[in-house]
Amino acid sequence: MEKSIENIWKEGFLKSDALVAPKINNLYNQKSIHIIDKFKRMFKINLMAIVAFSFAFLVVSFIIGIPITGIIFFVTLSVLVVINKRLLNDLEKIDIGISSYQYLKAFNQWINKQVSINKRFSRFLYPIIFMSLVLGFWFKDAEGMPLGERLVGEILVGFPDTYLIFGIPLIGIVIVAVILVLLFLVGGRIYKWDLNIVYGRLFKKLEELMTDIESLRS
Amino acid sequence: MSSDFYNTSILPFAGIIIKLCRAYTSSQQDFEDYYQEVCLQIWRSKDNFREESQWSTWVYRISLNVCLTLLKKKKNNVQHFVSDSITAEETENNYAFSDESLNLLYDAIRKLSEIDRAVIMLYLEEKSQKEIAEIIGTNPNNIGVRVKRIKTRLKKLLDGKIN
Repeated sequence: MEKSIENIWKEGFLKSDALVAPKINNLYNQKSIHIIDKFKRMFKINLMAIVAFSFAFLVVSFIIGIPITGIIFFVTLSVLVVINKRLLNDLEKIDIGISSYQYLKAFNQWINKQVSINKRFSRFLYPIIFMSLVLGFWFKDAEGMPLGERLVGEILVGFPDTYLIFGIPLIGIVIVAVILVLLFLVGGRIYKWDLNIVYGRLFKKLEELMTDIESLRS
Repeated sequence: MSSDFYNTSILPFAGIIIKLCRAYTSSQQDFEDYYQEVCLQIWRSKDNFREESQWSTWVYRISLNVCLTLLKKKKNNVQHFVSDSITAEETENNYAFSDESLNLLYDAIRKLSEIDRAVIMLYLEEKSQKEIAEIIGTNPNNIGVRVKRIKTRLKKLLDGKIN
């Protein structure tokens, strides 16, 4: 190789056709493919979907006679939406005009914060959803009395020596408690697993970029 | 975006954007997408420009940050790093410029890691080590060493291809 890299660069760009800008049509309406914009869009859509679902479910829960489930769902999902709306506001603050390291770091920090908060929240979200279903059906009207009490009555007919605590069979309490603990333990993992399916490639790429820049900084 | 803003604030720096976007894309379609995206982000972020640096440096930063974080779902994305075989897209991009040596140089640059691409592009644009470090956000002392290493790699990749 005779020419230096610098000369190839300079001489190559002296030719008139080298730097012809592509035509830009209707840029204002272009759908951005930038990852932060994509995140913002997906986040907004997700949040709106959660709000719509929680409203719809609240109405349905009253119609089908499990309002407790609907109310707990609505409150829990509203908290989730408020938390994530605040996270979205933080994302809006990231300035793209800062250095690449600061920019990637800010974005990475935002992702880590978002994952950490939602992971913690998921530990409670799944058990709460399960418990709301249990309570909803327990108190559902079944011919003038709560479905749960009716069920206990039928159990006592078949198994009269069933041990009760506050009128609830101990075995039922144990089963519900075990499921709650399991959901608490795996809630975070379910969220992480779900997240990795969607954003795994992005996380890996960001990690590689950060490692590379950090090696330059050290 | 107004055409005035594009003509006065982006078009004079289109060269910078084109050079960077070419290094991060391997097809004409991707290049045009990246170029549009950079322009869009410059326009969206224009109010954040505080004149602490030159407009051109700021354009570099945005172009680079957009290129580093643009995600395109593509098949065989890692092919460039594991194989020297020429894909259809590479072939297409090999003819992006009329200068054959420049096409070969770009082809070699695309085989580097994303950060190394940024470092060498800024170096070739005659940015000082301090400016390169400021744009990327690294330590200026390490830039010189990294540039040398990248140039050695590029020379190896271009060896025998350019007379």
